[in-house]
Amino acid sequence: MIRRRAALARHIPWTLLIFLVLIWVPWLGSRYDTFLATQIAIQALFAVSLNLLLGTTGLVSFGHVAYFGVGAYVCAILMKTYGMPFVVAFPAAGIGAAVFALVAGFFCVRLTKIYFAMLTLAFSQIVWAICFKWNEVTGGDQGLPDIPYPDLDWMAAVPGLADLRLSDRFYLLTLLLVAVSLAVLRQITHSPFGRMLTTIRDNPERAAFIGLNVRAYELAAFVVAGAFAGLAGALFGIFNRGVFADYVFWSKSAEVMIMTILGGMDYFWGPPVGTLALVWLNQQTTSYTEYWPFVLGTLLIVLLYAFPGGIVGGLAAAFRLARRRIVRGDA
Amino acid sequence: MPLAASLCPQAGRERSPRSARVRGGTAPEADRMAASFLFSQFMGGLTAAMFLFLIASGLSLVFGVMRVLNFAHGSFYMLGAYLAWQAVQWLQPAPERFWPAALFAALGVAALGAIVERCLLRYLYGREELYQLLFTYALVLILGDAAKFVWGTTQLSVSRPPLLAGGIAVFDTIVPVYNLFIMIVGPAIAVAGWLVLSRTGAGRMVRAASQDREMLDALGANVGGIYTGMFVVSSFLAGLSGALVTPIQSIVPGMDVEIIVQAFIVVVIGGLGSFWGTFWGSVIYGQVLSFGILIFPGFSLFSVFALMVVILVIRPWGLFGRPL
Amino acid sequence: MDVSARKILAFGCLAACFVPPQALAEGSIKIGFPIPLSGPTAVYGAPILKGAEMAVEENNAKGGVLGRKLELLSRDSKANADEAVRLARELIIKNNVDFLSGTLTSAEAPAVSTIAKENKIVFVAPTAKTILLTAPENLHPYIFRVASNTTIEGRTGAGIMAKWADVKRVATIAPDYAYGRDAVAAYTAYLKKLRPDIEIVDQQWPKLGEPDFTAFITAQMGKKPDAVFCDVFGGDFVTFAKQATPLGYFKAIQNRLADGGEVGTVDEALALGPDYPYGIWSDAYDPVIWAGNEPAEHKAYVDHLKAFTKSEYGSGWAIVGYISVQAIVEGVKKAGSTDSDKVAKTLLGLSFDTPVGKRTFNPKTHETESGEFWGQMVKEAAHPFAIIQNPEYIDPAPFMN
Repeated sequence: MIRRRAALARHIPWTLLIFLVLIWVPWLGSRYDTFLATQIAIQALFAVSLNLLLGTTGLVSFGHVAYFGVGAYVCAILMKTYGMPFVVAFPAAGIGAAVFALVAGFFCVRLTKIYFAMLTLAFSQIVWAICFKWNEVTGGDQGLPDIPYPDLDWMAAVPGLADLRLSDRFYLLTLLLVAVSLAVLRQITHSPFGRMLTTIRDNPERAAFIGLNVRAYELAAFVVAGAFAGLAGALFGIFNRGVFADYVFWSKSAEVMIMTILGGMDYFWGPPVGTLALVWLNQQTTSYTEYWPFVLGTLLIVLLYAFPGGIVGGLAAAFRLARRRIVRGDA
Repeated sequence: MPLAASLCPQAGRERSPRSARVRGGTAPEADRMAASFLFSQFMGGLTAAMFLFLIASGLSLVFGVMRVLNFAHGSFYMLGAYLAWQAVQWLQPAPERFWPAALFAALGVAALGAIVERCLLRYLYGREELYQLLFTYALVLILGDAAKFVWGTTQLSVSRPPLLAGGIAVFDTIVPVYNLFIMIVGPAIAVAGWLVLSRTGAGRMVRAASQDREMLDALGANVGGIYTGMFVVSSFLAGLSGALVTPIQSIVPGMDVEIIVQAFIVVVIGGLGSFWGTFWGSVIYGQVLSFGILIFPGFSLFSVFALMVVILVIRPWGLFGRPL
Repeated sequence: MDVSARKILAFGCLAACFVPPQALAEGSIKIGFPIPLSGPTAVYGAPILKGAEMAVEENNAKGGVLGRKLELLSRDSKANADEAVRLARELIIKNNVDFLSGTLTSAEAPAVSTIAKENKIVFVAPTAKTILLTAPENLHPYIFRVASNTTIEGRTGAGIMAKWADVKRVATIAPDYAYGRDAVAAYTAYLKKLRPDIEIVDQQWPKLGEPDFTAFITAQMGKKPDAVFCDVFGGDFVTFAKQATPLGYFKAIQNRLADGGEVGTVDEALALGPDYPYGIWSDAYDPVIWAGNEPAEHKAYVDHLKAFTKSEYGSGWAIVGYISVQAIVEGVKKAGSTDSDKVAKTLLGLSFDTPVGKRTFNPKTHETESGEFWGQMVKEAAHPFAIIQNPEYIDPAPFMN
């Protein structure tokens, strides 16, 4: 009975369900809740894109924020400086990030482990330095403030959406785009390609022995992860109404990595759960105290010792334990 | 930390004449001035290189033996600086109070390292490296806030010890005595560390632990004790370098993360696990920066990263590293 | 609930117990104040916040504004633009602040300015000097600035150095980002006008947060300038000074260095102590120690500041936070309302008194175009650190048109 239920669970389109639930935030929550939800959605996409490298392929990247930043800048520059519409700027952001990931990844995948990680960091900081200094194009350290929202007037035609604020409409657009992206990423992770990546993660030498071009697969994963990070970055820039060099600094890489591990690297939905937890906790804690780093550090240590699989890992373990008890009870 | 590297030992030795009087205008004078300028760039860079080596050496030791990337090494460095400042305040107005203060700082941080290793880190050794890194990052967050809580956010400064204040005129430029001191301490530690590791029994055990922990454990050696010992030595070095840097830098919040990225990069450039690799990595980095800023003024912003890209593309395991 | 969630909840409850009770009732006028309180920029963020808090306390002691108390809601923006945006939105939407102030870095201020425009809330920036904040393409009705700006800084420095008649060769050293670049650009342009005979022989651009200036110092000394315009500030200046002195840098230029980065501030001088390069010229928003013809309101302000911060010498940075709150208070008083539209209109052209002089918002640029107090840094028996000798407020009006 339990086993049948578990099999059923795998067929439910979780992405669609969660999306349908989250649609109601603008109506059920406050205006600020909608902003938080938008932020969580965008950073969840960023975290899941990182997990394609971290959890699925076993590639620890310290410089994933570079592609996030490239996406943010490409979209912002196209929309603000050249006045292009969102439908053009958004995919362009993904493509721009993918191109950059291709170039950087080509050099990075030739290395392994910590050398790989440090080289990704190096490329990331070079991107940051360029963004920080190239005043004419990126606005330098002052960035590009006042990015316009995309044209969302068409939403007025959809029944029920006409009386929504612009920020709420943007939330729905973001939710849609993130949901589609996550669905695509989920398909990729569970596809044969994804399984090859998992094989590489578990044993790169054996993967090479059975004929996989390990570097090519890793590069492909790198580019895909970079592309989706770029899409997340594009949305982030519009959400914050501005793109700044801060978005490309390595501390953001650390932040997204924590979200991913906090939620659980071994599960597809781990990173989004981690993002939700971290953003919510940050918001709650900073309204009381300026010692948020202390709180976060303590939380991480507790997690490392008590819940090595992250939040989702801990929940899954608890669920398995409960199921075993029930099964034993049944029998 | 960008190492201002002064390059050009060759220029100092071959081209510059011994006379120290400077008058503008004639060709040999111009030569002399150019040589002394290059020499001063070289010396400044060497100072920075040795400072970075002091910090990176501890990092390299821990990684070489324990395969742990200790992100909190920068925090230990920062705590060493703050503790040194605190001790200097307590010991006022004794004139040579810097030296006991530096020792106090190094020992304090070493004690903290011992506690961290014994009570927390040792339970993570079997786990993935990523989790160990995450642990050390959590430490960075906690220690950073602890330092802010105790010493606040204002910038602090420690004066040079009177014994090492002032400068020496060499080749028409002035080399601060303190910088010379650091330029001696750096290689001294490198040589001492290398001697201990390669010539003593304890060093042999440490090298064995880095090669095959399980075998060493099976042979009955106290591997746990070796690991603790290495971590304590590394923390001592971090605290000491933090204390020694206070006379020539300000103590500000955020100095922990600023330095750790530079130190990591220098260790990686030299090759992980290679102590001398870290040494030469620091020297090269210092050289590159010192002359880089002459050619390309905005260079210091990303110099260390550009250098790492170049080196890792040419030598994927760093200069002296072996495949992991 | 699993174990870790329980622990977090427990911690949260514990933390909540330490939050000072919100004793101010509904109806208080709220000012949101996101500012860096961690990281290297907290060196300024913390004292600026203290100045703002003191202004709020003083106003409340006098009975508040329009019969209502003031309330300052401060948050740590971590010197991060997106965190500043999130906090600004939270303060506006969740905490219903009436006005915004704070921010420090050159990215935070424009970022929050956009949010202020989006939500039609008056935002008074105390300390961001970037000219882009109030540039015509970014100007909107709700942004105001009480800080100085890089143009004023550069031109003031040029004005001072132009008076040094025997100086023919000048060098500059400034941090390599917009603030440093803009200030030096303003300096060199104005200097060319005042003294076309002066030649700029060297320009160095160390990065922000540079730990080792030696290469820059020796490179600059190699060009043998007569005087230097420096814009290195804060912790970087402490490092710079400690490294430059033994290299003979200040001696080589006979201390003819003008620093526009407010290193004449008491906080800076205290940090360096005996290592301060006495004899250089610098500025401060507030000299704090003001020998001879100190206005009475300044003395009262400094005495109160020392008591409020429980420190012996106060801080030279608190004044900008203080003035930004004062500006808001004066605007509300004159408009007779806390409605941002009305207050924004009132602030244009508004003149108000501060402990360091009268300030007026330029209706065209929304700035007070504040100058600073300049003077030579000297040693004095009464204080164990450098102070500005005869601090003189340099009014930027003559060279700002």
